[in-house]
Amino acid sequence: MAQDESASRRTFLKTAGAAAATASVAGCTGGGGQDTSTTTSGSDTTTDSGTGTTESGGENMGDFPVTITQGQMPSTLDPQNHRETPTDNVVLHAYEGLLARDRKGKAQAELATEWERTSDGVVKFQLREGVTFHSGNDLTPEDVAFSINRIVKEDVSIASPQSDQLSGVTGASVVDGERAVEVQSDGLNPIVFSLFATYCDIMEKQWVQDRSKSEVAKDMNGTGPFKLENYQENVQVRLSRNEDYWREPAAVSTLTFRAAKESSTRVNQLLEGETDVIVNVPPQEIGRVKGSGSARIAAVPSTRIIYNAMRYDAEPFSSPKFRQAMNYAIDLNSILENILSGFGDATGQPTLEGFTGYNSNVSAYAANKSRAETLVEESGHAGVSITLHTPVGRYLKDVEIAQAVSNQINQLSNVSCSVKQRDFGALAGQLTDGNLETSPKFYLIGWGNATFDASQTIIPLLTTDGALTSYSNENVDSTIQEAQNTGNADQRSSLLQQTNKTLHDEAPWIFLNRQYSVYGVSQSVAWQARRDERIDAYAMEPKQ
Amino acid sequence: MSMGRFLLKRTLQGIFVIWGVVTAVFLLRFITPGSPITFVAPLDASQELRQQIARELGLNKPFYVQYLDYLFNLLQGDMGYSYISGTEASNLIFARLPATLELAVAASIVAVVLSIPLGVISATRRHEPADYAATSFSLVGISTPNFWLGIMLVLLLSVQFGFFPTSRRGIGLGPALGMLVTQAKISGLTTWLSHITLPAITLGTYFTALITRLTRSGMLDELGKPYVRASRAKGLPETLVRYKHALRNTLIPVVTVLGLQLGTLIGGAVITEAVFAWPGLGTLLINAINARDWPLIQGSLIVIGAGFVIINIFVDALYARLNPQVVH
Repeated sequence: MAQDESASRRTFLKTAGAAAATASVAGCTGGGGQDTSTTTSGSDTTTDSGTGTTESGGENMGDFPVTITQGQMPSTLDPQNHRETPTDNVVLHAYEGLLARDRKGKAQAELATEWERTSDGVVKFQLREGVTFHSGNDLTPEDVAFSINRIVKEDVSIASPQSDQLSGVTGASVVDGERAVEVQSDGLNPIVFSLFATYCDIMEKQWVQDRSKSEVAKDMNGTGPFKLENYQENVQVRLSRNEDYWREPAAVSTLTFRAAKESSTRVNQLLEGETDVIVNVPPQEIGRVKGSGSARIAAVPSTRIIYNAMRYDAEPFSSPKFRQAMNYAIDLNSILENILSGFGDATGQPTLEGFTGYNSNVSAYAANKSRAETLVEESGHAGVSITLHTPVGRYLKDVEIAQAVSNQINQLSNVSCSVKQRDFGALAGQLTDGNLETSPKFYLIGWGNATFDASQTIIPLLTTDGALTSYSNENVDSTIQEAQNTGNADQRSSLLQQTNKTLHDEAPWIFLNRQYSVYGVSQSVAWQARRDERIDAYAMEPKQ
Repeated sequence: MSMGRFLLKRTLQGIFVIWGVVTAVFLLRFITPGSPITFVAPLDASQELRQQIARELGLNKPFYVQYLDYLFNLLQGDMGYSYISGTEASNLIFARLPATLELAVAASIVAVVLSIPLGVISATRRHEPADYAATSFSLVGISTPNFWLGIMLVLLLSVQFGFFPTSRRGIGLGPALGMLVTQAKISGLTTWLSHITLPAITLGTYFTALITRLTRSGMLDELGKPYVRASRAKGLPETLVRYKHALRNTLIPVVTVLGLQLGTLIGGAVITEAVFAWPGLGTLLINAINARDWPLIQGSLIVIGAGFVIINIFVDALYARLNPQVVH
């Protein structure tokens, strides 16, 4: 604790901001849930006999093949060398973490049975007995320590793009004489358990070391409920039920992952019975799925927020009044209803409902054209023209949402707005080059935060040294720093709520919608969608 | 010049074309906005992580070192590793190639089988109902967007009537033929046919229409030439005049266009591939471009370039066969 207190605000925010990789703007991995086991006292211990990620498993051990069609195939089968949800959806059937989350995001045990903070910056995980890898070898503390170090230390194996996901973690080591692993962090790291509940898949040390990077990318050897049977790169991945799984074997006998980029193709496959679960059913196809009789829609609010960032350092967005005016100019309910067919929630702060730090007293801005025009006048920027940059096809209805925002701003008598469609790579390059001045002044983007913790949205996006920031406010910086240095969960939550209220009032974004995950599911499969965008076939059962 | 020397010359030219492609793509990567690190690393990655990844991918080396390394490795058959997947680019590309070739050839077969008879009938029965029907078909075929036709075919023949699968490749032609030969099972071939029919029709319709028009105009042109009148005056049967003399000369530009189109199909059937979730090279290339996965982009373009070169050599050979003056 003392160590943290001595750190400068800038150093702290830089570390935390850079490490707040629990989410990503660009369709990254999910997770979710409250960090119920985050503690600051060395004596606090959390235990769980372990029911794992989901509440299913195979009572039915018969033949129950399931096919899942996503928008893209996994880019790799190496669970630690990617940052994509479609890849996670495949590899997390074979690999598991120390902790996991249930469908609603609550943290729970997986390969660890107990976890505790032994001192500031040091936590210990007690490992489950009787767990074996698909290779037949037992899970050991060495495997766990190696897996963590493979992510956070470049010299162990790879420069893992997940190193920032384990925010502040500096390394792991085996505890002498115990079936346990100790994880060291730089500073207090109050959300370390939350991070491990979402990230860090455990691999077998010897298995990885015996293989090249390319071989690890084409094979899988985890402890999970499914084993790799066949992998045709970019075509399909087929897994089979792990009969030696440490929990009950899955009900699904064979699990096949395929991809179809076009949403209409996925819907056709579902309706013809060629697949059982499809992702991202667009609003215009929902009626066709619902009316088919052979399939249904499973929709759930995701952990992703869509917003329009307004750069605080550039006119006219440097004026809080102008930024507020832009929020009042938008009829968010109309966008939700007409563009997203109701599959979206209005937001009025950067933190989503259900997250630690969400402020329930803050509402979304209500459309008010005259107030918006007045605020524009008061800001001194009447008559200004602005351009909204938007990626194309990166987020659900991104261009349509941007066009609606632009049209609604254009309805103000004293502002004109146009939309500029951008290649995502080029836009992302500008946002991540470390120079705020190269970013567009006004852009649409999405952010997924898998940890269900406000800090992991605010630090990277809305603090002065955030890796993807568009905003700077000393008050926000200091409150967040204070929150990250406090061990009291209630006090921390209160500080985060206070920050959210400030951010609502200061309006660094046009707060848009919480994106929904919308799946099409065959009537023959019993399954409920998860908030963290993960598709968990272990939770699937044949529908009676 | 003998035919052998003619083909050797064309082959050497083709190698230079491919080298030119590699060089041009290498130059392009340095002026194209967007870094591959943006796609490998998360957007909120620290600068330290970005530098680590750049080092691992070799992106921190000077341009000329990267270029020479690539050429050196390429000469040994190594196209490098995909930035995104970390696996061999050559494996990813050659795994897609059979699907691409099958679709391109099937679409071309659809085009040839339908278009040449249609074009000939249209030309020989000018201003008759058959001519009007063929020209109307070709007009509609040229005007119909691929994606719309594909979606309509799926909705009608797959979703409505269930005649064909909605999408995917199902099985490769090689394994399907293998099943037929080794196990005397025809099911592999029927599966392959059922999967490729709609994509081939979708992709082939435009070319059918194009070649129908080309054949029709070519035939009309040839049938009006003095040698045809002379042949008829000599008393040659009309069938011989039309199909041995006029059609053969008409086929010269048709073969050229077919060859060029086949080359285009190898890299350009992106829309059809997307509609039918067909695992072809076009989609791989577009995804690689979107992710700035340069080893995959370069490898794909080399293969597509090589495909163009090979097809053009083949077309040149065929052209020379149809018109021996070409060699000389």
